[in-house]
Formats: sequence, C-alpha cells, structure tokens
Amino acid sequence: MKKILILLAAAVTAFATPPFDFKQLDKLGVNAKESTNLTLDGPVLKMASGLMGKSKDADSVKSLIDGLNGIYIRSFEFDAPGKYNEADLEPLRTWLDSQHWSKIVDTRSDKEKSTIYVLPLPDGKFGGLAIVSAEEKEVNVVFIDGQINMDDIAKLGGNMGIPDLSALSNEARKAAKKKEE
Amino acid sequence: MSFEDKNFEDQLRRSLRREAAPPDFAATVLARAAASRNVISFWRRPLTLALAAGLSIAALLPPTVAEYRRRQEEQAAEARAQVLTALSITKTQLLRVSAKVQKNTRRTL
Repeated sequence: MKKILILLAAAVTAFATPPFDFKQLDKLGVNAKESTNLTLDGPVLKMASGLMGKSKDADSVKSLIDGLNGIYIRSFEFDAPGKYNEADLEPLRTWLDSQHWSKIVDTRSDKEKSTIYVLPLPDGKFGGLAIVSAEEKEVNVVFIDGQINMDDIAKLGGNMGIPDLSALSNEARKAAKKKEE
Repeated sequence: MSFEDKNFEDQLRRSLRREAAPPDFAATVLARAAASRNVISFWRRPLTLALAAGLSIAALLPPTVAEYRRRQEEQAAEARAQVLTALSITKTQLLRVSAKVQKNTRRTL
C-alpha cells in the first residue's frame, strides 16, 4: 500500500511539473525591446476551452487545445543584432534531444537557426511540438506539450484572429518568386 | 417599671431575638441566583444570533457570488485571449520556418 502511494505521489508530481524549466530562458530576454511570455498550463487551457463558444471556428480551436497539457511561448525582439546569447537556448535544445524529440525541420543560414521538433508517439501521433527559432534580432520559442495534430494547426487558418496559413504561405511564395526574378 | 412596660419590653425582645436560618436557606438562595443567571436576553439567544448570522450571509452572498463569477469570467476571457495569441504565434513561427525552408531549398536548387 505504501509503495502504491509513493508511486502515485511520484506520478502526480511528474504530471504537475512543467516538462522543462522555462525560467532557464529568461536570460534571453534581458535586453529585449519587446517580449511575449506565455505559460498556459492545463487548468488555463481548460478554462479557455470552456469560453470558446459554439461555432465551427471555436470547435476547431477547442479540439486542438483539448488534448494539450500546456503551451509555453517565449518571444523576444531586440533593437539591434547581438543583444542575446544564443548559448542560452542550449539547455532547451539539450533537453529536447535527451527526451528523444525528433527534429523534423532544421534550417540554418549565416545568422539564423530554426528548428522544429516533434515528440513521436507509438501510434503515429505527436506528443508535442517545439519550435526554436533564433534570428539576428529575434528569438522565438514555442513549446506545446500534449497530443497535437499538425492538420489541426493548419485548419486554424483565419480562425478567431489566428493568421491564415494559406494566405501567409502564398505571400512567402510570392516574395520568394519576386526575389528569384 | 410598670407591668405594661415590662410586657412591652418582653414582646420587643421576643420579636427581635436572633433566629437560626432554615437548613435549606443557602441552597434556596443559590438556586434562585442560578435561575436568574440562566435568563438570557433576547439579543443573546442562540436562535437570534443564528437568525442574524443567516440574514448577514444572505445579504452578503449574492454580491460575493456575483463578484466571484465576474472574476472567473474575466480570467477565462484572459485565458482565451492568451490561448489564441499562443496559437497565433505558433502558426506564425511554423510559417516563418516553412518559408525559410522553401527559400533555402530554392537557393539549393
């Protein structure tokens, strides 16, 4: 009985604690001109889900967030290059590697480095999504903990103030074409 | 001293002579004192106090509940806005990374 209680307590603690200590990323934003810091854990997501209303848009947002345990966003904008230390992102990258998250996209250029990680689950689904993007004057970290379907994110196009994926990707395509010409 | 005077004096002495209290006198006095102490004023009766407490709660409850609901709604609205912001940032970041990938792929091709 005692063993069961100890295991139960350990399990509860494991579920209650955030997957990664995001305070470790606070150093990144010391010189930031603008910063967005969002920590949305289970109860907050549940509360938000309850207030989404009843519409097609609301349902798609609801279905996306209902399977999540937390969303953590750290976004910093700087007024000049070199205002943050890229090494401050290393604890997160190391943690993601140690937890067997897979890199599905890893793009690098001279001054930019962006990586998208997913946590593969045995049933072919994803147990989470992480985006770590370091640019000259901007750092963005998105960490979504919980079962996520990439199609659900794509479906959110234009819903409830969320930018339309297709419109933006068309813009990106047009911009790339113009540059080519 | 005449006979009448003596008689009067005797009567007076008899009237004023010390008499022992009855054996249950102390007990009776104490019982009566206790009984008078047990009489509680209307404002201190448990029923009155309970009624007053009930009325106070009834008066305070609706505004408290309304305030609690208002706060809950505010928190939920804030949570909703934060979730939409978080999803918006997520989507923007996915698009930016995908645009970078497209750009790099074209450059390579």
